[in-house]
Amino acid sequence: MENKNKYYDIAERIYDLDGEVYECVGSSLGRTFTGDKRTCVESLVKLMRTKPQGHLLRSELALISNMARTIRKDEDRSRLMRKYDEILKEIAELPAGFGKVEILDENRAKLNTSNLRQKFSKDDHLIICIGRTHGSAGNDIGFALADALRINYYDAEIFNEVLRRLDAEKDSVVDVADLGTNEIENKYQGSGRTLKERLKDFDRYHGLTKEDAIFFNQSDLICKKAKEEDFIVMGRCADVILANNHIPHISIFITAPFEQRVHRVMEVNNLDHKKAERLLKKIDRQHSKYYNFYTGQKWGDAVNYDICFNSASYGIEESVEIIERMLNQHTNA
Amino acid sequence: MEELSAIPVWLCIPFAGLLLSIAVMPLIKPDWWEKHQPLAVAFWSVLFIVPFAAKYGMFTMGETVLECVVNDYLTFIILLFGLFCVAGNITIDGEFAGSPRINTALFVLGTLLSSVIGTTGSSMLLVRPFIKMNSWRKRKSHIMIFFIFLISNMGGCLTPIGDPPLLMGFMRGVPFFWSLKLFHILIFNMIILLTLFYFLDRRAYRKDIAEGRKPDIREPGTHVRIVGLHNLIYVAMIVGAVILSGMLPGMSAFQNADGTVKGIHILGEVTLGFPSVIEIVIILLAAFLSFKTTKEEVRIRNHFTWGAIQEVAVLFIGIFITMQPALMILKANGAELGINKPFEMFWATGALSSFLDNTPTYLVFLTTAGALGFKSGVVTTLGSVPVKMLEAISCGAVFMGANTYIGNAPNFMVKSMSDENGVRMPSFFGYMVWSLTCLIPVFIIDMLVFFL
Repeated sequence: MENKNKYYDIAERIYDLDGEVYECVGSSLGRTFTGDKRTCVESLVKLMRTKPQGHLLRSELALISNMARTIRKDEDRSRLMRKYDEILKEIAELPAGFGKVEILDENRAKLNTSNLRQKFSKDDHLIICIGRTHGSAGNDIGFALADALRINYYDAEIFNEVLRRLDAEKDSVVDVADLGTNEIENKYQGSGRTLKERLKDFDRYHGLTKEDAIFFNQSDLICKKAKEEDFIVMGRCADVILANNHIPHISIFITAPFEQRVHRVMEVNNLDHKKAERLLKKIDRQHSKYYNFYTGQKWGDAVNYDICFNSASYGIEESVEIIERMLNQHTNA
Repeated sequence: MEELSAIPVWLCIPFAGLLLSIAVMPLIKPDWWEKHQPLAVAFWSVLFIVPFAAKYGMFTMGETVLECVVNDYLTFIILLFGLFCVAGNITIDGEFAGSPRINTALFVLGTLLSSVIGTTGSSMLLVRPFIKMNSWRKRKSHIMIFFIFLISNMGGCLTPIGDPPLLMGFMRGVPFFWSLKLFHILIFNMIILLTLFYFLDRRAYRKDIAEGRKPDIREPGTHVRIVGLHNLIYVAMIVGAVILSGMLPGMSAFQNADGTVKGIHILGEVTLGFPSVIEIVIILLAAFLSFKTTKEEVRIRNHFTWGAIQEVAVLFIGIFITMQPALMILKANGAELGINKPFEMFWATGALSSFLDNTPTYLVFLTTAGALGFKSGVVTTLGSVPVKMLEAISCGAVFMGANTYIGNAPNFMVKSMSDENGVRMPSFFGYMVWSLTCLIPVFIIDMLVFFL
């Protein structure tokens, strides 16, 4: 435990030193560690644990010293270089064997405790991320669960908020999370748009594609809301976004046997068997592609979620009750 | 200067030693190397100068060293210095987010710009916007590597302003706009390299996103604003100075009765020509005016430091001095190498341009080609050179400067500036792995398609 604290202490000091160096330089070209503090500290700790005196960690530190050496004020430069040298010395003294006995991804381990509420501290909000296959009644379960827990339910609302932030016309953009990348590209990157419109979009979305700009804004919004309130969010890679930002949450994946889903889609959408089957396959493929593109993970793979649920085994109502029981939040208990 | 006969190959050892130091020392003794670079450069230079003086005498040694310092290094470093200063006074504000799409688009613009304001000018102007735009990303060194490939090297092939070897060709009678004939080769290479880059960058970009990295794009609109835009006038001044340095030596007002260029006599046959003096004065004036007319705040925001130019100035004076024996051997034996086909010219010029100064290398092979006795082709003062052969020599000299960090002046500058701004650039050999895997296959395709 003492060693662990030491690693975190050093990592935080490296991050702070980088910030201080950047400030003293006065540059606007970007600092060495550009992510949020928590993420950067975690990745530095990981580097220290796996390769305490390794090449990668030294290279990261060298980037800070490269910048520090260019500070104009002698006083600031020598003060920060002293700090840098101290950190370097402490790293050299770290026990090399520590990384071998420690569980590396203990944050992930915490997420998988049997009582899911354990991963929330008093200050954390209850956030449930639900991924679902089309036709598994995931949306209905999510909505009913939000109602039962008396917390907010976000699906298209997040998307609408993003549009507002991006100052985009609603008609020109389609909800990527609902359709998948391919369809979006066909829908709003199709021909027929003038050069002026394209340039306007280029400026509006900071040179990014629309879907990327929307994803980044959705990420921002989800993290912001996670600090303010309890909620359930459907899809949008929210589970990975929150995990990357070290925000406690519960991730649930709801699915059902393919044939069962086909029957549901046939009834709900009034389609014949063949069309329903084709639609499901297409939407599954798009969801998978979208999730994989933005998270690098496999959509629907059980190892990526806290709970995987076969809604066909329980139906909507019982699914909600089971999840509530698991959360230890049953309102009637 | 008189040709020195039978230069022994062992005199090239200091050059190899210096290259090896540049490659290895930052890896094994980074702190020592950073502090003692001038010492290492002096060591290898002395190791060349002393045996050379012992073999050929003090006077010849003095002439050789001064010739390369005064006539090659001085104009080289002043041009680099001028563009470095002026570009450091232009800053682009705005919230462009580096993504495969915008990086690729800017590479297209930057590569073409290199032929308009030179590879050095274009590199210095665009390196900071690229670093800034991609600062949110973790995996970004490949972006700067392709920057060196395309903007710092290949882009310069279309005009004599683009890259010094082509200026030499222009001075030897190659028409000014002849290099535009290389457009189809450049476009061909750009398509291959940019496609490769796009997919590499896309993979890296996805990994960055998957790790939760994101640019700050909360506000709608990019709000691009260029501060210090008036410095483009000074860039134009510098480009003008380079063009003048290529044109004035051909004018009778700048020539002695024997056809040599008038100038300040220094030692023996070493003379600093007046065209070079004019070039230097204009460049220094542009740099001075740029500093005088731009607020310091702009340079601070640009993280303008002398580190990068200092490093290049120190290393390259050693490179210029120690590579003299290699260049002399090349000049003496270039014609006897039996190279007389375009693809041979392409590889020979290219391979040597990767490590030696590409300007004299270009000249050696242009002279060789001119002496082969062709009756048709591009008429130069060195003789007629078939179009395909001249294309091969030009492409070899310009493109293959990208093979190593020392192949072309801006390469090392881009590396140093990236190192100073949070981009972990590969080592000398690490960079060569990139050039071997990405560039050499493209050059092989070039050979098969254009030079066989």
